[in-house]
Parts: sequence; structure tokens; C-alpha cells
Amino acid sequence: MLWYKAWLETRSRFAASLVTLTLVCGLFVHHALTMIRPTWTVDFNRLLYITQEFLALLWILSAVLLGMGGIVYEKAVGTSGLTLSLPVSRVRLQSVRITVGVLEAAAFGLIPWLTILAVSWRARMPLVLAQVAFYAALLVGGGLVYYAMAVLVSTVVEGAYSSTAIAIGLVFVTTVALDSWFRQLNLWRFVTGNFYLDVHTFLLTGHFPWLGMLVCLGVAALMFVASLLVILRRDF
Amino acid sequence: MNDEMAIETHELTRRYGDTLAVSHLNLRVPRRQVTAFLGRNGAGKSTTIKMLLGITSITSGGGSVLGRAIQDPAQNCQLRRDVAYVAEDKRLYSYMTVEQIIRFTRSLYQDWQPAAEARLLKQFRLPPRQKIKSLSKGMRTKLALLLAFSRRPELLILDEPSEGLDPVSIEELLQEIVGAVANGVTVFFSSHQIAEVERIADRVCILDQGALLVDACLDDIRREYRRITLSFYAPPPKVNPSLPGIKQVRISGRQMTLLATENANAVAELALDLHPASIEVTPVGLREVFLETVREN
Repeated sequence: MLWYKAWLETRSRFAASLVTLTLVCGLFVHHALTMIRPTWTVDFNRLLYITQEFLALLWILSAVLLGMGGIVYEKAVGTSGLTLSLPVSRVRLQSVRITVGVLEAAAFGLIPWLTILAVSWRARMPLVLAQVAFYAALLVGGGLVYYAMAVLVSTVVEGAYSSTAIAIGLVFVTTVALDSWFRQLNLWRFVTGNFYLDVHTFLLTGHFPWLGMLVCLGVAALMFVASLLVILRRDF
Repeated sequence: MNDEMAIETHELTRRYGDTLAVSHLNLRVPRRQVTAFLGRNGAGKSTTIKMLLGITSITSGGGSVLGRAIQDPAQNCQLRRDVAYVAEDKRLYSYMTVEQIIRFTRSLYQDWQPAAEARLLKQFRLPPRQKIKSLSKGMRTKLALLLAFSRRPELLILDEPSEGLDPVSIEELLQEIVGAVANGVTVFFSSHQIAEVERIADRVCILDQGALLVDACLDDIRREYRRITLSFYAPPPKVNPSLPGIKQVRISGRQMTLLATENANAVAELALDLHPASIEVTPVGLREVFLETVREN
């Protein structure tokens, strides 16, 4: 039933974020329907890429919002005593919270893209399934680093607003800094598919970046483990 | 480790920087009794309880609850299955409704009593579908008590349980505590309401500045503790306050007041050697014992 608690705690943030992300899908569909059908044009691919950029931006904000909460936030609102007196270990509490968050974050990536796919098919718009899968996988797999960062920040900083502000600041600073000095490590370009974009066709080209994906998942896992260690050592 | 003790600590200490919140505490709470934990605000009561439940870390020393070491995270997790705890501030998950938090709590404990849950829900008039964030403080306290008393734990730890309750609810709470002890539950509770403590406690521990100053049976306090008031024609003579049986000596004008913790008659006879104009021996209530103890400290 810890799952139940984690779900109840995040469901309003989850629903609000999902509605916002779905609205972005609506914009895509609206623009796509104005195009000549069924011609498969560069403009259409470009629209797909721009949609991914918007989705990525909102996805990261949503993931940071999902990362809010947890036992450290509960300390600030006075419920940490109740949670920590339950007959469950801190590791299990934090693991369940992370797992529920990861599933919700995955839903943020998959549901908008599935919606786009479904609506496009219904409107007889030619959408390449492989391109959609590429975009969705980059968004969720790479984006987990942002979610993990938000979780880690929320285990160090108590207040909900301050931890959110710090996490968003870190996203912004790392994106700008990496783009200036270590462009190949810029997660934003990885998540949006910018690294794999053919600027002539606006299609994602080449093999799927399994190594990059593994690195992202590894970094996210390290941050999750770090958050567990912080929770284990923290005093309440 | 003593099986007769539900809680036992050895030199339990918690330090926050330069502040000693709990100092070398040797606490013993017997099973199947009501033990009250008294102290001023900031005396270290809540910190002690949090250390017992593994919520706050221990600086030094250790202890056991229901025979399991509190400093061992795995054992502490196990002991929490058999402990029902009501925290000081009674904060509950604001995003849940009354029935959701009951469902959630019920799922974590095997000793849940559905009949007790239904009875308390009705008795406390808690609206099952209402969000916790819209409940008053008193209703939140009742809900926290329901979550504890709907179980049949081995140990109930209540941190100021009556705070925010109306007189009728306080009466119901005291009846619940008495009923729980009759069913073999050990109750350890902190309170500022000395009248409540006097009604239901078997044992009293007084903590001040992190140190345990009194650990006694309430019956012993009632039987042994006496105030001996001596009046003199002239300023009273000096008395050694460390004499056996004398806890405190206070002089005001031509009057000397002794607080005797044992052998009050023998102390009174010794006091006659001071040649007082009059001598009066009166029983002492728990309130006075508490006030004198913490003031003296």
C-alpha cells in the first residue's frame, strides 16, 4: 500500500502535467491538419521535431514537479514522524516513491506521443512509427536524469518551493553550461533528438543511441542511489 | 535485556551541536502499565520517543523496545509492527481522505481491529469521505487516535495525546487508554496535563533538560512524598539539603519548607531538633512534585 500513498501524493501533479502535455499534442494536431494531406513533407517532419522540443520542455518541468515531496518535504509539513513510524524501512519508502515517479514520468513521454500517433492515423496523416518511437524513447530515457536530479534535490532541500526552484535552476544552468563547453554532453540536445536530426529532412537518422541511453540511465540510477543514502543518513 | 520491560534505555544521549537534548537517559517502562512521561517544553520527551522509533538518530548509548535494539535499523523496523504511535503535532497526510488513511494504515498492520475502527469512527464522528486538510485540529487528533486505537499493539506511544481535544473527547481517550491496558497493552505517554496523568498513570517519569529526574510509581509518590512546613520565631537555621529523604529545602521569611521523598515521619522527627514553633506534614500532589522537581533543576 506504499504505492497507494505515493500515487495519492502525486496524482494531482501527475494529472495537471498530463493535461498540459496533452494540450501540446493538440497544438501539433491542429497545425498538422492545416497541411496538405497525404503528402509527407519536410515541414511535417519539422513540426514533429518542434513538438518534441515543446514536449521535452514541459516533460522536464513536469518531472521536476513529480520529484517534489517525499520524506524530507514531509518533515517540513510535519508528517515525517507518521511516515517513519510505519513498519517499513526508509529504503523501501524511497524506492517506492522513485518507482511510482518513474512510471508516471514514462507516462508523460508515452501518452502524448501515443495520442499524436492515434490522432494522426485517424486524420490519415502519414506518421512514421519508428520516428515516434525514437522521440519517445529519447524523451523518457534521457529525461529520467532530470527526474533523478529533482528527486536528489528534494532529499537535500526541505521546502517544496525551494527544492523545485533549485532543481529548475540546475536544469537551466547545466543546459547552458554544457552547451557552451561540452556540447556533446548536453542532455537537452540528446532528449530532443537534436544530435540525431538530419537538418535537410528533419528526420532522426542513424542507429538508436543505446550507449547514450545506458549512460543516461546509469547517471539517473546513481542519483537515485545517492538520494537513498541521503535519506538513510538524514535525521528527522 | 529485561523481558518485564517494554522500553529500556542505557545512557541514551542525543546531542544537537552544543545542545544536549537527551542526556544519558536510563529509562525503564514496565509492560502492561501506564507510564507517563512528564517534562517542560523542550525537555527532551519527543526526542526520546523519536529515538525509540528510529526517527531521530542516537548520539550515544542505546536501548530496546519490546526486546529489540532501537539502534539497529532492521530490528527497529520490526519493533514498529508492534508499536502504535501518535505523534506530538498529529499531522496526517493532507492529500488523503479519512477513509483513505484508514485503508492505508490498516494495510500495514496485522493487528488491525475492524470492530474497533467502526466503533471509534462513530464515536469520534469522523466523516469518512472528508479530506484531512479540511479537518479541524481536534478532528485530526481524533483521527490519529483512531489509527492507533484501532489496533491491538503491544505498546502504545502517545505524545501529548489529549492536546486539542474537548473535555468529552479527553474523557473518551482516557477510557480508551485504560481499556487498552486492561487488554495487556503497555502505554507510554507524554503529557502536560497532570490531572490526566494522576488519573490513569501507574508510573511517572519526569524529564528536564534531557535528564531523568524522577522515575517512580504514582502510588509511591502519593504514599511517600510529603511537604513538611516548619515555622520559627526567628530566621530558620541552615539545614543540609542532602540529608536522606529530603529532596528540597526552601526558606521563606521565618518559614522553612522541606520536600520529603521517603520516611517523612523520620524527617519530621529530625526537624523537631531545629526547635520550630510549629510543624505541619501534608501530602504532596503530582503537580507539586513536578513543579518542585523542574524548578529545582
